Amino acid sequence: MTFSDTLARFSEVSADPLGYARAWKARTGRSVIGSFPMNFPSEMVHAAGALPLIIQEDDAPITVGHGLLYPFYCGYTRSAVDQAAKGDLAVLDAIMFGDHCVQLLGAADAVRVALPDTRVIFFQLISSMCDPWTFGRARESFQKLRTELEDFLEHPVEDAALVASIALFNHNRTLIRQLYTMRVEGRIVLTAAQMQSIVKSSMVMDKQEHTALLETLLAEAAASQPAKPGEGPIRVHLSGHFCQAPKPELLNMFEECGAVVVGDDLYHGFRYISTDVPEGIDPMDGLARWYMDRNTGVPCPTRVQNNVDWDAFLIEAMRKERAEGMIVLMAKFCEPHMYYYPEVKEAFERANVPHLLIETEHEGMALEYMRTRVESFLELVKRRRGVAQPAPVHPVEGEPA
Amino acid sequence: MNAPVLPPKLPGVANKLKSTRKAGKLVNEYWEMVWRAKEEGKLVCWYEGSAINPFLEAADIVWVHGEAYSAMLAARHQEGPAQAAAEARGYMQELCSYARTHLGCAVSNQRNRNDADAGFTDIPEDDDIAARLPAPDMIISAYAYCSTGQQWDEMTSRLFGKKIPIFNVSIPWIWASGKDAGYCRGTEWEETSGYVARQLEDMVKFIEERTGKPYPWDRLRWLMSNVKRASELRLEAMDMCTATPAPASFFDWVVSIAPINQLPCNESIVDYFTSVRDEVAERVRTGEGAVPREKYRLFFDGIMNWNKVGWLAEKFARYDATVVAGRYTHMAFWQEPDLIDANNPVLGMAQNYLICPNNHSSPILVDLIMGLCSKYQVDGMVIHASRTCRAFTNPQFLIADAASKRLGIQTSMFEGDVVDESFYKDELVNTRVEAMLEAIDARRLSAA
Repeated sequence: MTFSDTLARFSEVSADPLGYARAWKARTGRSVIGSFPMNFPSEMVHAAGALPLIIQEDDAPITVGHGLLYPFYCGYTRSAVDQAAKGDLAVLDAIMFGDHCVQLLGAADAVRVALPDTRVIFFQLISSMCDPWTFGRARESFQKLRTELEDFLEHPVEDAALVASIALFNHNRTLIRQLYTMRVEGRIVLTAAQMQSIVKSSMVMDKQEHTALLETLLAEAAASQPAKPGEGPIRVHLSGHFCQAPKPELLNMFEECGAVVVGDDLYHGFRYISTDVPEGIDPMDGLARWYMDRNTGVPCPTRVQNNVDWDAFLIEAMRKERAEGMIVLMAKFCEPHMYYYPEVKEAFERANVPHLLIETEHEGMALEYMRTRVESFLELVKRRRGVAQPAPVHPVEGEPA
Repeated sequence: MNAPVLPPKLPGVANKLKSTRKAGKLVNEYWEMVWRAKEEGKLVCWYEGSAINPFLEAADIVWVHGEAYSAMLAARHQEGPAQAAAEARGYMQELCSYARTHLGCAVSNQRNRNDADAGFTDIPEDDDIAARLPAPDMIISAYAYCSTGQQWDEMTSRLFGKKIPIFNVSIPWIWASGKDAGYCRGTEWEETSGYVARQLEDMVKFIEERTGKPYPWDRLRWLMSNVKRASELRLEAMDMCTATPAPASFFDWVVSIAPINQLPCNESIVDYFTSVRDEVAERVRTGEGAVPREKYRLFFDGIMNWNKVGWLAEKFARYDATVVAGRYTHMAFWQEPDLIDANNPVLGMAQNYLICPNNHSSPILVDLIMGLCSKYQVDGMVIHASRTCRAFTNPQFLIADAASKRLGIQTSMFEGDVVDESFYKDELVNTRVEAMLEAIDARRLSAA
């Protein structure tokens, strides 16, 4: 398989995750278990011999789902409910999750009603990350989910199988992180949409198959000349967009305007593959540790952790990536992001780092209107090149900057 | 220039309980206590969600419930400055308006403090009660169901530079898993009850660290005995509203939320609900209704629109419709006093926190609501789609569907919000409520 063939396969699966699941199920005769984002350990399902699939937002306009959830919900939850109500999720034998975003809970309740024959398994993960009992409770929650999974599949999830799945998933994440490193260093040319399809397909595909394709991709990757600082496109970090993938046409537009994405903390990006499950310890301990490490590795506003700062992480990530500006992608109605955004905005203003906020919607994104804003932003960033910047501003806390 | 033509001011129709007038006085006294807290050298705790106030009151800590502060501002139509301050910092309008308003108070508080430090004179005017909210000395987050509550507290902590100690109590959602799952029963219920109770014990240690004193458990026991009695009286009075005409309405119970949920838990709340219970009993005896010509009985699903309490009470009364019960009022606020053992109150408190009206998933929640609709013999259900409170709007389509299919009653939805008036469209409410009442009439005619 060539480099471009491999990318095409990732892209194909990303565009039709449920189609992949149906084909996989027909081929293997095994169960497909869906999960809601963002913290369910798919390793557990893989170890049980089923296909874990993170349910994706679909591009289709919301129709039937309007009868189950109001339009003032995020695109991900509305789309998940819509897919359930239309019968698209029938391929899933069960759905599992542990995250408790309030909109997701509403969606899960509606999905359970829309799919009476599909078992929906939930046990709430602790989201307060620095309590003395966080680790223990996280482990306990994963154990409850494992027990329910075993009950559903009517066979145990063996520790040895879980250890093997953890190793496979870690390897898969490691390979994708290699691609991220190569992209920052200019050793591989991947568009933002291509990188997204690599990560998104990893949320869907049989992990062994996906890993084999990644190995092919890395072997085929032709080194390209690193861009010199101060020349070429504007180096941009993409931030935000948690449960749902930004639309590829939006990502393509950034590049058409003269940006090159060198890093991100998107869920359909670095956030998903940032952290490995520790090996060589009890696998349930490992999963609980992974859950906690993820939030120190790439802080998430859906968790609360007073000793970790997402804004500081972003500034440091941009420094490492030599990114010149940040585009914040906020899914409309995403409450955790709306809460945290003022912190990020003020931190970036204090640090004198340019950023642009773009709110995305499930339907009807005004791409051309956004293009004008992105072009202006990139022009402003470009003009800073080679110009000494004023000292960081320190506005009074609580004041509009 | 033509003079504006104003509609004539009509006399009020809603026959509110007289005894609830005392709530206004008690509420004002409570807020005066809050505003005096710093002068009196008291520690102040900000919290949201669950009614942990007895834990704080026992330790002589002044408690400020974020939603209550936002609701108070909205009810007094003074929410504007706080919401503007929040917006100026970047909090978007689609964010929970309780949180947005409360965070706006925090922004104002910080700005005024910094202005004062800098020698500026831009100190709030005396009538800006958003800015009078005293800064916290501690934050406790104990929010059932809604993820936004914990995030709101975290952002408050960050607004104050992470210098305020914060304690998180995690309260899991009851998903109704397992064959034994049900309301206040089953393995899941027992497990989560114990989990929350253990965290409350740790929260008490956190309080002891703040006060530097051993926790006064005897005082908590006394406060909880008052809460338990007030709750029993409240439920007793509510039960009497199965009478026709209903002696009190949903809006009377809305006015009575503060006494059960956040006012000092001394004898005054027992006295308050004794008066309410007695007045309701007397109305039942004399056949006096909350709406003089009760023609329709409705259920209110959704959280209150605090900008519009009196407005909506009057609106429904003019339609001869008694809103006789609601999810917000009849499924929350120390709703299960029998679970409280005043001598050993922590577990029962944890369990009451777990049964906030949203913290059970739809299989349990919908059953409870259908039970209330049957009990109060309602003809229809009005559903308040509170734009920024998804915790309440989450199951509303499932509730409407069950009301129609199981009970055969009409439902009507309207959009509004908890404390952001801009989402409320009065003419839409009129049209939809009138359509529902006409449908009820038509059904009655066809059944006759």
